[in-house]
Amino acid sequence: MDNITKKVAEEIEKGWIGPDKSCSYHPCHFEGQDCTFCFCPFYPCLDDDFGRNTVSKKGADIWECTFCLFIHRPEVGKFVMSEFRRLGITDPKDPAIRAVFENAKRRFHTKGRALMILGATSDAGKSITVAAICRILHNRGYLVAPFKSQNMSLNSKVTRKGHEIAMIQTIQSKAAGLKNPDQHMNPILLKPKGDMISQVMVEGESYGDYNVEDYYGKFVPGQGIDIVKRNVDFLKGRYDFVVMEGAGSPAEINIYDRDIANIGAAKIAGAPCILVVNVEWGGAFAYAVGTVKLMPEEDRGRIKGIILNNIRGDISKLSSGARELERILGIPVMGLIPHISMELPLEDSEALRGMKSRGNGSMTIAVIKLPRIANFTDLDPLYMEDTTVRFVTDAEELEDSDAIIIPGTKNTIDDLIWLKDKGLDRAIIGKRGKIPILGICGGYQMMGRRLEDPNGIEGSDPGSFEGLGLFDNITRWGEYKKKVVQDEGTLLHTGEPITGYEIHMGMSEVNEEPLFNIKRFSGDEKEGSVREGDMLFGTYLHGILEKPAFRRFFLSHVKGGKAVLSVSEPKDYDDLIEENIRKLSSEFESNMDVDRLIRIMEGEP
Amino acid sequence: MNILFLGTSSGAGKTTVTALYCRHLSKKGVKTAPFKASNLSLNSFVTKEGHEIGMGQAFQAWASGTEPSGDMNPILLKPSGNGTIQLVVNGEAVDDISGCRPADRSLMMTEAYGAFDRLSERYEAVVCEGSGSPAELNLMDRDIANTGLMRERGVPAILVGDIERGGVFAALYGTWFLMPEDIRPLLKGFIINRFRGDPSILGEAIGRISELTGMRFVGIVPYMELKFPEEDSMSDTGGRLEGDTMIDAFLANLDSLIEAAGISGFDIGAIDDISSSRGHLYGPDYGIVGKQCVHRNGPLFRHE
Repeated sequence: MDNITKKVAEEIEKGWIGPDKSCSYHPCHFEGQDCTFCFCPFYPCLDDDFGRNTVSKKGADIWECTFCLFIHRPEVGKFVMSEFRRLGITDPKDPAIRAVFENAKRRFHTKGRALMILGATSDAGKSITVAAICRILHNRGYLVAPFKSQNMSLNSKVTRKGHEIAMIQTIQSKAAGLKNPDQHMNPILLKPKGDMISQVMVEGESYGDYNVEDYYGKFVPGQGIDIVKRNVDFLKGRYDFVVMEGAGSPAEINIYDRDIANIGAAKIAGAPCILVVNVEWGGAFAYAVGTVKLMPEEDRGRIKGIILNNIRGDISKLSSGARELERILGIPVMGLIPHISMELPLEDSEALRGMKSRGNGSMTIAVIKLPRIANFTDLDPLYMEDTTVRFVTDAEELEDSDAIIIPGTKNTIDDLIWLKDKGLDRAIIGKRGKIPILGICGGYQMMGRRLEDPNGIEGSDPGSFEGLGLFDNITRWGEYKKKVVQDEGTLLHTGEPITGYEIHMGMSEVNEEPLFNIKRFSGDEKEGSVREGDMLFGTYLHGILEKPAFRRFFLSHVKGGKAVLSVSEPKDYDDLIEENIRKLSSEFESNMDVDRLIRIMEGEP
Repeated sequence: MNILFLGTSSGAGKTTVTALYCRHLSKKGVKTAPFKASNLSLNSFVTKEGHEIGMGQAFQAWASGTEPSGDMNPILLKPSGNGTIQLVVNGEAVDDISGCRPADRSLMMTEAYGAFDRLSERYEAVVCEGSGSPAELNLMDRDIANTGLMRERGVPAILVGDIERGGVFAALYGTWFLMPEDIRPLLKGFIINRFRGDPSILGEAIGRISELTGMRFVGIVPYMELKFPEEDSMSDTGGRLEGDTMIDAFLANLDSLIEAAGISGFDIGAIDDISSSRGHLYGPDYGIVGKQCVHRNGPLFRHE
């Protein structure tokens, strides 16, 4: 505490500084944050609106306010400092500080408002609409958080606190200008395991496996509603606006009364709703009318606007139809959004289904399409390079490939058995030393010598399994333990920065030269395996291809790859996402009635 | 006897269901022809008489056990880039149309319905496929292949909804709701296409749609992967298919789809009722039974 008091005293002496762009961590919370009080002068405020009492790892009672952004709001930082000056407060222990806190809270703390973006179908464009609205509101100076109560996706990402949430919410949070997405933004994540069973993650942690019947029959009416309520309330208490995303169609009348992802969530959050309809396939007006008309009358009033999305060609062709739709439903069409071409991985659901290849570049990268493939957004940065990514399920398809990637999987053992049944194991081993081979997470585990699962934690049957033997590593699932962590470090070969995240059960005994140095609070760690002579690479790090360092290092081993890479600049995937968010939000801003949207969010009837 | 299959969107499965019903009728010994008044497609087929028609109608003709002819697709619109569309009427290119040079709608209607009448004379059954969604508020007054055909020739219709994207109940109800009142009674039934999983989960919702609209539930068509040449490889043939093997494979696949649909409770007899008795509104039908469907991977063929 003494240390913090000292820091606060220094802050008070220094005076108002606004955003501190000279700080290497800036912005540690959100773009535009006020850094005057890096250490909060009100700590511990003991106000339930800002934090909570908890017990630390060491067993001490502490006041925890990790997610509070109040003191970093530009207007708050400025006001508090000017009050300190006006009242002559210089001592962090001055009892007059409490009055400043109460005063600041009275002036600036209001409960946030929520808005729900519903889609008439899957892939209606809900995700991009949420991202665009987050950015537009952020640009207008609001503090905004994305939210999706329930997401079914195999593409998850790890938060700074080690929680797992859907990838798409992390992108939306970036659109909102936030540095650290957290578990409240996607409190329920369903990761399909096959056979109609999903692993249910609650607030970023594994909760259990459910089939469809038990999920809707037991989980949703039981804890489901509480989970949605406490998380959306949490965000409303800290942000000006919470932009919520629905799931699928809100008019699935066979499960309507058990829905906590669409109207159900909107009711819990007290949110007005906007319905997004994808025009591309035709029938958009029917989808819009049917969606609204099938809802019970008392819910229809929640729909305050309609957005017609993904219009190719001349937008004005739709305006007569849009006016007619307004007349029929009595709901304004608030936006006519053109088709926007993007490289964002925004269709997260099952966009890989049926896909044979992507891109049209000179380097052909064969990706083994494991039946339980997971975190396949890992591959997205490859499209920034001159590559064709080919999804492969048969050995012959590897023949003329320039590199192989074995991706992550929801179940390493079962997919290893599949790999062997398909003869892909021999085909991959046959490529050793001829073309580069990269294993990520589950794929990396498969590349080892043995995989030991004595208790059947990973696979359906317990046992010890022979790996591909490309590395002299052994992976063990001795106990039920999951590693979920963000990683930052360097590629050992070049010293260039890399980032990634790990989500895995099973720990590996590594007997190979490592690939990366990972920085941790507890000290540096080595990660991954490499045999450069044989062009073998393996790592637990998802997202490892996002920064150019390793992506280019790997591709430079492709025959002729160095020459191909030399004609383009190395690019950070994060920058590409930022470019796309800007493009997206500016198209929405020019084609949507933003002022009306804000009035709706503020409660216009 | 006539029937028109309408889709709640493009790619809803009209082409497949039309082919499926053509096959069913021809197996029953009914002399059958497919018909699509107008078709926007780059994939065309050239008939023995040298007429250019949509590829889908050629396959549907083979499913009917008959030779493809120009009347089966009297109007073909072939996008030629730069916003220009080549207009093919009765198998021959007649004009280039664009936004500032629209087609002569009354001429197109005369030609389209004339072709339909000729088919009706020569065949016992004409199985029609609509185009896109029939409920486009900005296009409805100019429609030829959907509401136009219903109004001009009184053809009863069945709606095909695609469940894969979600929102199928909204799509079915919304399409019905937006139909002009004079032809709404011709919407007799609905089909849910590309279903996977256990159909019992849909139970009450299907009853509700029947109750709200008076449309009879015909059944679900399961999601199937059918070994069938993809669109690209079809166009490799330059629009003309040599030999019968591909057609045989196609027919075999169609038969397996009919069988799978039957197992899922698809009531093809209901379509027979609708196509042969006009003006009768059916009550709700809860008749779905079924088993787990297999995880499959693609539509029979997709054409728009």
